[in-house]
Amino acid sequence: MNSIKEYFVSFYKGLKSLLIGMKVTLRIFFRKKTTECYPENRETLVIAERFRGTLTMPHDAEGNHKCIACGLCEMACPNGTIHVESVTEVNEETGKKKKVLTRYMYDHGSCMFCQMCVRACPHDAICFDNSFEHAVFTRGKLVKQLNKK
Amino acid sequence: MIDLKETIAALAPEAEFVKAEGKPLEVILPSSAVHDAMKKFRDDKDLLFDFLVCLSGMDWGDSLGVVYHLFSLKYRTYLVVKTIAPDREKPQLYSVADIWATANMNEREVFDFFGIRFINHPDMRRLFLRNDFVGFPLRKDYDMSEENNPLVMSNEESDDMTPVLVTNEKGEVEEKQKVLFEDSEYVVNIGPQHPATHGVLHFRTSLEGEIIKKVDVHCGYIHRGIEKMAESLTYPQILGYTDRLDYLSAHQNRHAVCMCVEEALGLEIPDRVKYIRTIMDELSRLQSHFLFYSCLCMDMGALTPFFYGFRDREKILDLFEETTGGRLIQNYNVIGGVMADIHPDFVAGVKKFIKYLPPMLKEYHDVFTGNVIATQRLKGVGVLSKENAISYGVTGPSGRASGVSCDIRKLAPYGVYDKVDFKEIIYTEGDSFARYMVRMDEILESLHILEQLIDNIPAGDYAVKTKPIIRLPEGSFFKMVEAGRGAFGVYIESKGDKTPYRLKFRSSCLPLVSVVDLLASGAKIADLIAIGGTLDYVVPDIDR
Amino acid sequence: MFDFAVVTQWVDTLLRSFLPDQAALLVEFLLVGLCLLTAYALIALALIYGERKICAWFQCRLGPNRVGPYGLIQPVADMIKMLIKELIDMNHSDKFLFRVAPFIVIISSVLAFGCIPFAKGLEILDFNVGIFFLLAVSSIGIVGILLAGWSSNNKFSLIGAMRSGAQMISYELSIGLTILTMVVLSGSMQLSTIVESQANGWFIFTGHIPAFIAFVIYMIAGTAETNRGPFDLPEADSELTAGYHTEYSGIQFGFFYLAEYLNMFVVAAVATTLFWGGWMPLHIPGFDNFNMIMDYIPSLFWFIGKVAVMIFIIMWFKWTFPRLRIDQLLRLEWKYLLPINLINLMLMVLIVVFGLHF
Repeated sequence: MNSIKEYFVSFYKGLKSLLIGMKVTLRIFFRKKTTECYPENRETLVIAERFRGTLTMPHDAEGNHKCIACGLCEMACPNGTIHVESVTEVNEETGKKKKVLTRYMYDHGSCMFCQMCVRACPHDAICFDNSFEHAVFTRGKLVKQLNKK
Repeated sequence: MIDLKETIAALAPEAEFVKAEGKPLEVILPSSAVHDAMKKFRDDKDLLFDFLVCLSGMDWGDSLGVVYHLFSLKYRTYLVVKTIAPDREKPQLYSVADIWATANMNEREVFDFFGIRFINHPDMRRLFLRNDFVGFPLRKDYDMSEENNPLVMSNEESDDMTPVLVTNEKGEVEEKQKVLFEDSEYVVNIGPQHPATHGVLHFRTSLEGEIIKKVDVHCGYIHRGIEKMAESLTYPQILGYTDRLDYLSAHQNRHAVCMCVEEALGLEIPDRVKYIRTIMDELSRLQSHFLFYSCLCMDMGALTPFFYGFRDREKILDLFEETTGGRLIQNYNVIGGVMADIHPDFVAGVKKFIKYLPPMLKEYHDVFTGNVIATQRLKGVGVLSKENAISYGVTGPSGRASGVSCDIRKLAPYGVYDKVDFKEIIYTEGDSFARYMVRMDEILESLHILEQLIDNIPAGDYAVKTKPIIRLPEGSFFKMVEAGRGAFGVYIESKGDKTPYRLKFRSSCLPLVSVVDLLASGAKIADLIAIGGTLDYVVPDIDR
Repeated sequence: MFDFAVVTQWVDTLLRSFLPDQAALLVEFLLVGLCLLTAYALIALALIYGERKICAWFQCRLGPNRVGPYGLIQPVADMIKMLIKELIDMNHSDKFLFRVAPFIVIISSVLAFGCIPFAKGLEILDFNVGIFFLLAVSSIGIVGILLAGWSSNNKFSLIGAMRSGAQMISYELSIGLTILTMVVLSGSMQLSTIVESQANGWFIFTGHIPAFIAFVIYMIAGTAETNRGPFDLPEADSELTAGYHTEYSGIQFGFFYLAEYLNMFVVAAVATTLFWGGWMPLHIPGFDNFNMIMDYIPSLFWFIGKVAVMIFIIMWFKWTFPRLRIDQLLRLEWKYLLPINLINLMLMVLIVVFGLHF
């Protein structure tokens, strides 16, 4: 007798649990949707200001940057993403030798956004910007020169 | 309180003790005595070292060896045992796989990386690297040049046989071949490309109709050699890689490494940092458990709850992104503190989330937990007994579902876990449903922790100044945290350089896959999916 | 109410006026076949679109909204993609059976589709054992699924096919019994007669308790019959990747895909016909004005509307429940549905014998 009762109780309970589930999904069926229509909402899209997109080297209005080509960022990078090329120039007035940056190469494709380079930089010459649309057709395009001239 | 040293000396007279202040007792045993002494350590009622936390291979330059980290769940004491394999050319040690089942996989890993062969081990194949790999990469004299280490483009054959070393009656060691799968068996490859293995994990499954006879786990498809790479990276650089182990516990993994290094350096960490780290740990745990819920539902064929879980996980990721700049890979902890102070909106955001979640959780339970199909598929499926859970080293929610009190937050509090009030969720059934319920209850517990912390973050620095080049003092350091799916440990052996001499991660997921064979044998294919889903392993953490 | 027989008879007389009888018949066959296949394809497209939107709304998503307004052209784009994809031959597979299998599946579903009375006077295959014929042809599909799994030379496919076999054979039984229950009530196996006899009240109302139980069981068994979630074990994407059609590509896969949706339509249409009056408008005896208004709505709309509701319920099942395990699936059938069904059939017989129905 007990097993018969159990048979019906289990059947009823099972059916009830299924109906509760269906009730929840139906409620959500009519709720506001959470999808973000990405390319359309580009204007209103909020990207957190600390989001790490691409490594950039900010230039001021005259096109100067703060990089002194010390190479600390290159050393700090665990992946070999950064290559700093520099020449040593001699200041004619003082006769002091000074390293000058020629090319600051950054391979976006191997960057893992660990921020070691930014932290290593003594002059805040580099930082991460918020760009996130990184897709390109060839890997070569991911290698970027950060200094303008 | 008994004197650990005396008891050990009585049980294993050959033991040599290494003196170190403020660190767990370290014992050096000769290789011939290891097996018997270990058995005594486990069984002695005053020691009860029932949990083999970590088994790491070592290359000390002139000799190869193994470091065992033992833990007693009852007395909450650590013991470190070191042993050296006698012959560097042909190193052999006695296996402890019959004492702790978790040693099985770990010893295979040691064989894989160091070439130490274990006598009486049931299955002496490579674990992560290909079967045709030449050499043992974590040995210090391994030649990393490309000629020696070519990229193999051919297909890897799965072996049906495995070599084993056994001792015969005369006590001599002889090599034999053991059969894993007979020719007549119906072996199905579940993975490495399979929707339910959550990544590139490979189960060779022997079937009898719908019933599973045996599962052979193949790891290593996403092995990146992080431990080898770490040997040539500075400590801050290593941090970047920890996020990529168990990417759902990225924050906790990094926390472990940071704490290990900070303790080694003797850095005093400001309270503010501890609060922030703990809050972030709990948020990580929340998002990890949401993903667990989502993926379990998906594996079980209920696609709709999958989206509900992700919808809410997204809210946590937004909080992460605001403060840390990363969603999955947060990159937030640094040695001595955190990368940046919390975002001004962070506290408000967390509070809003704490309010938002409970009604959603009710929906989760209505749509999936209570569902008769789901409960029938989970209850009584894949029962892991308490003894097996300890022996296999299963920790985290999966271990607690079997009744093992293994929460590192309680056993060895770190951060500010000693200041908050929270329950350790323990179920005793050990089945898939218990594993599921532990996680669902932990979501509430995490919310509870967050509620206590979020209003009380003390003012102060978010990081202490460290030297530009961090050199750890000579010695070995071990630290564990409670990651999303178990105890995650870091073992660093330092020679005083700016790079570690050897770094080993105690994976929280490797023990989880090692029990799959145990749980799934005799179950159905659909049960294997439920078992895998509730164990909730993350493959990059297994393979490292 | 508009009778589609007017149209068909007009075509018939038109053709016979300038063609000999045999030729007229041949042209009519072709025309009917063409209409049937067009309707088949269009309904499939509509269902694919509907399923995607409905599933998205259940999942707090928007669903397809890129191709065409509201994503309406999406299924067409998918169809084109499917048509131009390469058909891949597997090594060591039984090539003949491999290619035949999708056709068997699709033929069975087209045949079943042809039996459905869409509207007043719009029945294609209508004879005295119509519902029996429908059952018979719709179960041919299982042969195709078994062959697909067997010939693919893939272990997952084979497991999927075997599951499918066990599932179909079990649930065929339930479907048969529920249909039998309704046949007892209507006293006829001819689909048009079944619909006609519901003019004064749909069977779900006139047959009350047993009809309702039969309806619930029919919906469960029908979902299982079409291999849809939560009974999608033969496909079970998280267990068997894609089950019996893992190795199929291009239009061969497309056939399975089409057949799945059309089988769902057939199941919903049969449910409509047997329980909800088919194309018959809602009539309440005694309310003549109300009945008049209802009659103004064309019968085709009645039919499509009811079928849409049935399909929505089937989709609602799929997008709410987790998948069953094979033993649960069989237990549900043999332990619960079958005994209930048998008792229900007896109840219905008693009710009909004693005239307790409305």
